[in-house]
Amino acid sequence: MLAVKDLSKVYNDGKEIAVKALKEVSFTIEDGEMVAIMGPSGSGKSTLMHLIGCLDQPTSGEYLLDNEDVSLANEKQLAVIRNKRIGFVFQQFNLLPRRSILHNVEVPLIYAGVGRKERRVKAKDVLEKVGLGHRLDHYPNEISGGQKQRVAIARALANNPSLILADEPTGNLDSETENEIIDIFHDLNEQGHTIVLVTHSKKVGHSAKRILHLLDGELVEDEVVA
Amino acid sequence: MIFEIIIIALNSLKANKLRTFLSMLGIIIGVGAVIAIVSIGTGTQQRITARISNLGSNLINIRRGYRWGRSGVSSTATNVFTLEMAEYIEKSCPDVKVVLPNNQGSGLLIKGENNIQATVVGTEAAYQEIYDYYPRQGKFIGPDDLKEANNIIVLGSELVNELSPDSNPLGKSIKFNYQNRTLLFTVVGVMEDKSTGGPVGDLNSQAYIPSTTYMNKLANSNYVSGFTAQARSSEVASEAVDQIEYFLIKAIGDKDGFHIMSQDQILDTINDVTNSMTLMLGGIAAISLLVGGIGIMNIMLVSVTERTKEVGIRKALGAKKKDILTQFLIESLALSGIGGVLGIGLGYIGAYLIAQFAGWPFVVSNLSVIVAFSFSLLIGIFFGIYPAMKAAALDPVDALSYE
Repeated sequence: MLAVKDLSKVYNDGKEIAVKALKEVSFTIEDGEMVAIMGPSGSGKSTLMHLIGCLDQPTSGEYLLDNEDVSLANEKQLAVIRNKRIGFVFQQFNLLPRRSILHNVEVPLIYAGVGRKERRVKAKDVLEKVGLGHRLDHYPNEISGGQKQRVAIARALANNPSLILADEPTGNLDSETENEIIDIFHDLNEQGHTIVLVTHSKKVGHSAKRILHLLDGELVEDEVVA
Repeated sequence: MIFEIIIIALNSLKANKLRTFLSMLGIIIGVGAVIAIVSIGTGTQQRITARISNLGSNLINIRRGYRWGRSGVSSTATNVFTLEMAEYIEKSCPDVKVVLPNNQGSGLLIKGENNIQATVVGTEAAYQEIYDYYPRQGKFIGPDDLKEANNIIVLGSELVNELSPDSNPLGKSIKFNYQNRTLLFTVVGVMEDKSTGGPVGDLNSQAYIPSTTYMNKLANSNYVSGFTAQARSSEVASEAVDQIEYFLIKAIGDKDGFHIMSQDQILDTINDVTNSMTLMLGGIAAISLLVGGIGIMNIMLVSVTERTKEVGIRKALGAKKKDILTQFLIESLALSGIGGVLGIGLGYIGAYLIAQFAGWPFVVSNLSVIVAFSFSLLIGIFFGIYPAMKAAALDPVDALSYE
């Protein structure tokens, strides 16, 4: 379960005028949900994603992840949370370019301290799940955008996290590939993974069961998709 | 996990081979230079030591002292340096085997149409034993020659090559021109080949005449410039020095009138000099190691900036500060370590080639290898820590959005 309460983020960078990127946002996402966070540019959805993803810390407010207040965690604890409980999928794929696909998927397992053999087995396993079991030794520049995003999803799944956080996951893909990726998220959701999609694409947003609409740093609508 | 991080670091270095090599170059040259220079120092030292030891053993050199007086050399000191004093010391000091007067002067040796500038040494039979140096042809100066101040001369091997390369020089006449005096000598012997160095000069290009002949007929003086004594054994060398010193102080009155130095002391002095030279040059070479370290730091800083995105990705995937720090530190350590190993190779090759070229023994001291290598590792850590800390401190959000 993921719960944010009065979550705010203020950027002031030493300047006189502080920018309130997020204003006292509160919501709860239950385990097994598939939720989209939508809003135009500058609505604060990236900031919210960084906070949910434990990449950044809120100025004020509470963030409970599996009933643990994460907003009080230190840097090292945040790294562990990112490693074990959150799987990231980025718009830019963010694969390590000079490493094989298999190694890319192994990276979170390395930082989790998983041994070499077990790591290999787990990485192969998740790559098969996304339909790339035959491409283990390829390099990111040898595969298509859709395949890259599948590798990224496999990487996000490697440590079997409770939350998968995708930031514009289809932003760099054509519509056909977009559908494939959305299908994968649906499959994962059916298997019980909690999925949060951050997007400004209506199509992606409506693939979720629930949409949180953000505008100017405020939560303006909590829509349930029929 | 540290093993995994090492692999990650080494892979990054492998990905950019030319840059990796270039950034190592400073360390390679630095380590190589330190090892080669120390080896050259040791080689030179061994050669000089060998040559001085080759001169003879347990030698003690005594010469007149200089005072800051009007005449330079004090008269009392000069009076003491006589043939009689040599004999007296030889008889009185129990640990001294033999004492030779030293006389030598430089002049022109003339034979027929050939002539050569040479040093003529006035000496006696004991010279052969002291310097372990014997005639290969004819004979050396005998007791009768000394008593009668005969005009005989024994030539060094090099002089024969110059003056009469083709014919047998024995029995031939040779002229020696010294300070406007010309004396006619008969060649009675030719010395064997003996290469030496250091304070005595090249024995091969000297000629030898009886010391009486030298003093009475050439220099017209009753005094010699110094003595060369030989101790009975190396164990008693310092006792012999003390005994000679005792007699000389008694005869002269004070310690400033003469200088005494044993072969060991000469060797010590020379070793001191070569050691400090080696240390100085090695230190200069070590500065290039430092410069190499700055090169590594430069490359690591560039690398951190270039790989900001990678750091962001790794942090998002759960890398801790410590993991990133270790990764970059291992990279710079590997740069300096591999550079150090290559530098050791370069040092060995350089030292070997120079030793071959200069003809001295090829010696690489283990200490210089260990010191140079450890120093290069230290430099890797020292100059790698700042870039690594910079990478580790990157904010994950900023790093991820870096393009």
